[in-house]
Amino acid sequence: MGLHIIVCIKSVITTAPENGIVRSADTAELNPFDRPALEVAISMVEEQGGMVTVLSMGPPACAFVLNEAMAMGADRGVLLSDARLVDSDTLATSTALAAAIKKLVPFDLALFGTRTYDSDTGQVGPQTAVLIDAPLVTGVTSCEFKDNLLRVDRKIDGFREEYELSLPATLTIHPSAVKPRDIPLGGIEEAFNTKKINVLTLDDLEITPGIVGSAGSPTRVISMTRVTRERKCEFLTGTTDEQVEELLDRIKKSGLIG
Amino acid sequence: MNTLLTEKNRAVRRSVRAFCDREIMPIAGEIDREARFPWEIVEMMGKLGYFGIQAPKKLGGAEMDAMSYVITIEEISRTCGSLGLCVTVHNSVAVYPILAFGTEEQKERWIPQLARGEKIGAFGLTEPNAGSDAAGIEATAIRNDDHFVVNANKAFVTNGGVADICLIFARTDPNAGRRGISVVVAERGTPGFVVGDVEDLCGMRANPVSSIRLHDCKIPAENLIGKEGMGLQIGLMALDTGRVGIAAQAVGIAQAALEEAARYANQRQQFGVSIGHHQSIQAMLADMATQVEAARLMVYRAAILRDQGKPFSQASAMAKLYASEMSSTVTDMAVQIHGGYGYSKAYAVERYYRDARVTRIYEGTSEIHRMVIAKGVLDEYK
Repeated sequence: MGLHIIVCIKSVITTAPENGIVRSADTAELNPFDRPALEVAISMVEEQGGMVTVLSMGPPACAFVLNEAMAMGADRGVLLSDARLVDSDTLATSTALAAAIKKLVPFDLALFGTRTYDSDTGQVGPQTAVLIDAPLVTGVTSCEFKDNLLRVDRKIDGFREEYELSLPATLTIHPSAVKPRDIPLGGIEEAFNTKKINVLTLDDLEITPGIVGSAGSPTRVISMTRVTRERKCEFLTGTTDEQVEELLDRIKKSGLIG
Repeated sequence: MNTLLTEKNRAVRRSVRAFCDREIMPIAGEIDREARFPWEIVEMMGKLGYFGIQAPKKLGGAEMDAMSYVITIEEISRTCGSLGLCVTVHNSVAVYPILAFGTEEQKERWIPQLARGEKIGAFGLTEPNAGSDAAGIEATAIRNDDHFVVNANKAFVTNGGVADICLIFARTDPNAGRRGISVVVAERGTPGFVVGDVEDLCGMRANPVSSIRLHDCKIPAENLIGKEGMGLQIGLMALDTGRVGIAAQAVGIAQAALEEAARYANQRQQFGVSIGHHQSIQAMLADMATQVEAARLMVYRAAILRDQGKPFSQASAMAKLYASEMSSTVTDMAVQIHGGYGYSKAYAVERYYRDARVTRIYEGTSEIHRMVIAKGVLDEYK
């Protein structure tokens, strides 16, 4: 039997989207925050046996992130791709992902990164957990199986919280949890030659188009402008001791040291 | 975006670049200064399959195509020429000849450890008196029952200081001229196998290039690759493959120099503007970018021909000739754009300039390549 872990991953835009960028392997990359989640899933399945499914939503040109995840060690890829999904906000995205996960049952764990490199909302993991009705722990820093129960840690405000979850469960994995492995050349060869990507459309998910895409998105980004940070250089005056005192005082006030 | 690349090739580039940028780039200057072979990186590269790029999966390799091979070499060399050299020589002139000409027993004996980078391979053809004239080698391997007694003095052996396995080209028949040369696998630790001092070279300083000498070294007869007398043929075929790797290495070094030069031209202010605003700097950058891309396409073409099973000897010779000369020119221009700083060891372009120089010399000098290419042209249009 073994575990079935689904990891939801995203292709993120690597350059600032000023003139409407077409997402492709040359303008996008696998969200770096998803890599620790992949590592957790792959190493857990290496230890416990089972299968890792990677799931991503996006245009066909983004299938490369699934190949990359399979080259790392995931077993199969599922691409959720449909023109009617364009302009989905985080809720519509979660709705579509949840519908896809329901098609991939049974599963033991659904894993997410804590956030994405390009839009940085951190909402998709938690929203999807609600929609698939699975318990959720966010920002997980470590996890292990003991006696058929999953124990996970998260760190928050100087405290370490420990949770015990029954499966199936949803986790968002904190980047500090693990160092993601590098991709071996043999893994790439295997991903492209022997592993498969299954493409799902809205018709496969059996959901009405009205709850995804722009129609299913209660939020909309109406504009995006680059924020330029004003930098200024200031020279402290006085004797060396006075300058040091002043500098320390400012660093303390900024909260950098206590 | 390069239209010749498949999605798989691009995945190779992304993953190798990510590894090299994170692990090699930060220490490349230091290992050059210290002339240190970075075992910690070599171990990681071994686990990632870089030492058995085209070796079969069942023998521990990644079983990739030639295109993926050249991209890997290009990307490693973009951060460190010395490591690019280590990997390309190991793959193309140590692993490849055993795969192409070795028996099943020989492959199973040597390839798995070589492919995982647990053992490092080298190629011993050059001697103090035989370089470009490969047929002029003086090393001898005299058959005596079940072994050869080998006496050899091999010079400028890439990876020599760390090699566990070295292909030694030696005369098994002193009277048979070109057909009297054979190749045997010599293993470090065999009595009489002596590794000379590491050469104090101008560039590629993190690669322990050394001499390897064999004094009355008893090499078992089963270490003969191919048949007696096939040595030169095996060596030249290995070099055909190796040349594409060296060409890819030259492209990688030049690419690094181009990137550094462009960054510097955007940053460095003179006459109130960044120097990239000056036409003479723009002309250099334009020539550099164009030449790097031209060489890259030649390398990829040679790799594609190899992947298609078509003759690639001429294409690989042209790619090696052009890419190595281009690399010298482009790194020279990168130094020029950096001005005095480019001549300082504080800036990476100084290392690129030194590393690029030798690509015109090893695995066939530019002069030998011109002879080879010219012969091909003369034969084609007789």
